[in-house]
Amino acid sequence: MDLNRREFIQVTSATAAGLAVSGLGFDLMPVKAHAQMLKTKYAKETTTICCYCAVGCGAIVHTSQRGDGRVINIEGDPDHVINRGALCPKGASIKQLVENENRLTRPMYRAPYSDKWQAVSWDWALENIAKKVKETRDATFEIKNSKGQVVNRTTAIASVGSAAMDNEECWTYQAMLRSLGLVYVEHQARI
Amino acid sequence: MTNHWIDLKNSDCILIMGSNAAENHPISFKYVTEAMRNGAKLISVDPRFTKTSSKADIYAALRSGTDIAFLGGMIKYILDNNLYNKEYTAEYTNASFIVGKDFEFKDGFFSGYTKGKEGPSMGSYDKSKWTFEVDDKGLPKMDKTLENPRSVFQLMKKHYDRYTPEIVSTITGTSQEDLLTVYKTYAETGATGKAGTIMYAMGWTQHTVGTQMIRTMCIIQLLLGNMGVAGGGVNALRGESNVQGSTDHALLWHLLPGYLKGIKASQDTLTAYNTKWTPKSSDPLSINWWQNYPKYSVSLLKSLFGDKATKENDFGFSWLPKADDTGSYSWFDIFDAMFKEKIKGFFAWGQNPACSGSNAGKTRKALEKLDWMVNVNLFDNETGSFWHGPGVDPSKVKTEVFMLPAAASVEKEGSIINSGRWMQWRYQGPKPMGDSRPDGDIILELFNKIKELYHKDAANGGNEKAGKKGKKNKANKGGAFPEPILNLKWDYTTNGVYDPHKVAKEVNGYFLEDVTIKDKQYKKGTLVPNFTMLQDNGSTSSGCWVYCASYTEDGNMSARKDTTDAPNNIGLYPKFAWAWPLNRRILYNRASVNAKGEPWNKDRWVVKFAGEQKDGKWTTNKWDGDVPDGGAFPLENPDGTKREDGKNPFIMQKDGYGQIYGPGLADGPFPEHYEPLECPVEKNYLSPQMTNPTAVVYSTSEDAHATCDPRFPFVGTTYRVCEHWQTGLMTRPQEWLMELQPQMFVEMSEELAALRGIKNGERVKVSSARASVECTAVVTKRFKPFKIGNGIVHQVGVPWHYGWRWPSSGAEESANLLTPSAGDPNTRIPETKAFMVNVTKI
Amino acid sequence: MEKSFFIDTTICTGCRGCQVACKQWHDLPAESTKNLGTFQNPPDLSFMTYKLVIMKEEVIENKLNWLFFPDQCRHCIEAPCLQIAENPNAIYKDASTGAILYTAKTKELDADAIIESCPYNIPRKREDGTLAKCDMCNDRVHNGLKPACVQTCPTGTMNFGARQEMLDMANKRLAEVKAKFPNALLLNPEDLNVIYLVAHDPKLYHEYAVASRSKVERGISRKVALRKMMGPFASLLRA
Repeated sequence: MDLNRREFIQVTSATAAGLAVSGLGFDLMPVKAHAQMLKTKYAKETTTICCYCAVGCGAIVHTSQRGDGRVINIEGDPDHVINRGALCPKGASIKQLVENENRLTRPMYRAPYSDKWQAVSWDWALENIAKKVKETRDATFEIKNSKGQVVNRTTAIASVGSAAMDNEECWTYQAMLRSLGLVYVEHQARI
Repeated sequence: MTNHWIDLKNSDCILIMGSNAAENHPISFKYVTEAMRNGAKLISVDPRFTKTSSKADIYAALRSGTDIAFLGGMIKYILDNNLYNKEYTAEYTNASFIVGKDFEFKDGFFSGYTKGKEGPSMGSYDKSKWTFEVDDKGLPKMDKTLENPRSVFQLMKKHYDRYTPEIVSTITGTSQEDLLTVYKTYAETGATGKAGTIMYAMGWTQHTVGTQMIRTMCIIQLLLGNMGVAGGGVNALRGESNVQGSTDHALLWHLLPGYLKGIKASQDTLTAYNTKWTPKSSDPLSINWWQNYPKYSVSLLKSLFGDKATKENDFGFSWLPKADDTGSYSWFDIFDAMFKEKIKGFFAWGQNPACSGSNAGKTRKALEKLDWMVNVNLFDNETGSFWHGPGVDPSKVKTEVFMLPAAASVEKEGSIINSGRWMQWRYQGPKPMGDSRPDGDIILELFNKIKELYHKDAANGGNEKAGKKGKKNKANKGGAFPEPILNLKWDYTTNGVYDPHKVAKEVNGYFLEDVTIKDKQYKKGTLVPNFTMLQDNGSTSSGCWVYCASYTEDGNMSARKDTTDAPNNIGLYPKFAWAWPLNRRILYNRASVNAKGEPWNKDRWVVKFAGEQKDGKWTTNKWDGDVPDGGAFPLENPDGTKREDGKNPFIMQKDGYGQIYGPGLADGPFPEHYEPLECPVEKNYLSPQMTNPTAVVYSTSEDAHATCDPRFPFVGTTYRVCEHWQTGLMTRPQEWLMELQPQMFVEMSEELAALRGIKNGERVKVSSARASVECTAVVTKRFKPFKIGNGIVHQVGVPWHYGWRWPSSGAEESANLLTPSAGDPNTRIPETKAFMVNVTKI
Repeated sequence: MEKSFFIDTTICTGCRGCQVACKQWHDLPAESTKNLGTFQNPPDLSFMTYKLVIMKEEVIENKLNWLFFPDQCRHCIEAPCLQIAENPNAIYKDASTGAILYTAKTKELDADAIIESCPYNIPRKREDGTLAKCDMCNDRVHNGLKPACVQTCPTGTMNFGARQEMLDMANKRLAEVKAKFPNALLLNPEDLNVIYLVAHDPKLYHEYAVASRSKVERGISRKVALRKMMGPFASLLRA
């Protein structure tokens, strides 16, 4: 029943060609799957925790060690005691979240009254944000409230976010915001 | 969650109400299924027959917003039929406490009410009317027979006596038969050794009575002895991968990290602040854990300001911002103030408020009034691009917008904490895509730049810019109040790059001097082993005391992967990851044993006392199983004598008892049913008061509301689907997920569809007092009209995952354009689960 | 050793993790879909959708049910498609796993006849006539992994292993659920390597949950009639 070696090579090379020209990154050609090597065989393996709900499922990320070093597969981690390899459709699709042509990959800026985005450098963006923060903060800082109590704050800057950040980032972020004197500090937990 | 995901498998009866776990927390069903295969019953209570209902033994429908009536009826059933766990209720809860003379409940109001003058709060209570009677030592008076008519138990009985099956059925639309089936089945878990659990989510929090819905269930869990046991607890299914962590770290205005309180203007010194929040109990049986408050607050200040925080300067206490005592700075208040042009600059960091908050139309208008906004995200979104959203003319929008590309979670390293409080470390797979950066790097770099500007100013001896432009400035030496900025400890880099390990260690905390505790020496610069060693004198730091023990000299506890279970074999996996506090997996676990320290359930025990005994007395202190709450001796010796050093199980409560009576909440010590702000009925069948008299309701031109209004005759609710997440910002740009749930839809009953002449699959308009949204009609048997009083009430539901930016057609909009500006008085969480709409053909 | 799936629909929550995990592993593109008044999407299997959770709302004995049926190739023990194709370069059976596998050479077959021959209505063709369907994640299976849909399943609906082990599991589970669902049954377990357990009349779940008699007869009127009576056909015609 099995193909002989020559036919096997024919089939697989046709498939490989199909892959190369598809451009979408998708191989539409049904292949002789059992003869294939696992696509993850030479990939770097790291563990992660799903970025969606708070069940905290473990997943394995396979990252290509060649070319652009991007993700080639993400699936449930069978050794994780909560999900034991399982993932819901969102978790099962994390690869498409990461390797997504719709992602933002450069800082963008929109000027007052403009109808378009313009790409800017990180330095330019962060310098200008820092200036805005300082200007607004300095112009609105309240040492005392209307009752004369010391409050040391600005209520002209607000922040929302983010439950999508890591613990360490959350802590760092709140430290920054509180040092700036923000009291309008909120995030997803409130809604 | 008081318990955790795996622990669901230990339950005898699982009530899923106020959540749709099969849809929104699908992996939880691994353990719900396991419990059911071991004989557990699953009850689903939901306005709509859901994926969860499809697996349930019992399904009961209720009208959105009537959960307190439903559960109040269960309390009455439990009490009337003597099904409560008597030992647990008398010994471990405040049911025996005697309530002061001033407490009263009449005509829908508790004693001490004052109507609000200027909103948004509709009114408030003087909680001093609700206190307990105390003896001359200041301890609450008790009657453990529970017969005193002023005992919590008897007052509760009286309060819920009105919640008869007839009345409850009239309010909820649930048939009396279904009510009694649910009550009977769930109340069976009151038997000693049985465990019942509740899985709830935003279906309870998002109401003007949200907190009290949860409270009603807490009362039931205490009456049935379900707190602290395996397969029990009160389990909030949190919806975001790190919403537990972001709450722990206080990205909320009213908190500081570790559930310390936000500082109020009247607390002008650290001492005043600590005194205010450090509870005192003279009861030797109470651990009163919060008596340690100053150790945690001072250690936090030392983490924030490092060496700059000294005893002399109150550890930098005055550098932190203070809120007005009566002020509120919550989500709703932010966008209300922004709409009123009181906010100039705004960070929307990893969040999409243009779709996520209630009454999103007001939010979008508010964004137009900003001078500048920073939006950090993975994808372009409705918030960052609000200036070219539907109906917005960019040439009229002044707001400058910076949109910064964030790295995805798999492109960086750090920890998150799940709903069961498990802290888990993630590793970097690929590098950040393109020029995107991890949030941590962005925060670090941004603050460096801000600091640089303030340094420059300070070096120039004043606020140069303000001076030049002649701007009025209240404190222009070195920019306004530069001290907190210049003194913030900010050494979280390795080789110039943000290092999450350094932050994780700071969050755990260090010894800042050589310290001797109980004859053991701890060296300066080493990590604190756990929070019992934190100090209030500045000799320790800890950025978030509940995390102290997460990253120690033994390593990063959250990265652990040992899959060995604990000896009790109930799925605690104590060496896998790490859970706060102190790696305790089940909170209140001291309530899982009797006064002698013996588990209520010998097979599924959580902790048990294993000390040595001599002559009928415990002589050594040892607990087996989970990390015990407090770790003190049990209340009694094996011979039944009371121990003076025994402790009550609920260690976070001042008196050590579970709170059936909750005098700390804004809207009353007992939960009471009120109708949603927008409701379909003319009358509250339980009292003359229609709505929660302390609810918050906003009132700008963008805050329209309509109740019992024929223009909006149907109850609306919002929910989620498995394939999308929150506003859909991260899932709508993904084809695989869009294939499964491509469009905004509205689910409705066949009866309502017939009434409106709507065919399945056609586009229709759903409108509220705020806006209209186009949806595809999903006509289903899973929604049924409710019989409420003498009338029929229809309900519809919409998912809140959509928004104009994705899909690119722009035709799918946010359900939160429909939802109201009204919220719970305790949390100000919006009432997006019950509001009024109309549905019409297009 | 021949492998089988055991699909216990009584505990399926319709989360569709399997549907996406299948696309993810196989790098299959999404279809452009619309909401057609149901959660089920795409409406049907296709050349790029090998796995589909079929959803039905049925009132059974006065009780509403939301039935979920994760549909996929049954990897028939004696597969009609394979028999009809008569071209092992196009359709063949991996003797070591029992997987019925389609190659790019299916393009050379009479696609409609193959589709017609399937009593479960599984194979789908693209414009050029190439056929596709579930491949049992044969590459994973050969490397000691479970098929993607099985690994990702949260509840234990999807199971995979040695055939006898799966048959034992299926029979044990059938006995368990009989207490709650007296009409529960396994669907054609002796003929298939994908064994479904359903709680109710299988026709309520999906038209092709069990081998379709009309389809068998249509098939027989064509090329199949020339072949011997095969597994699922035989049981149907015996009935």
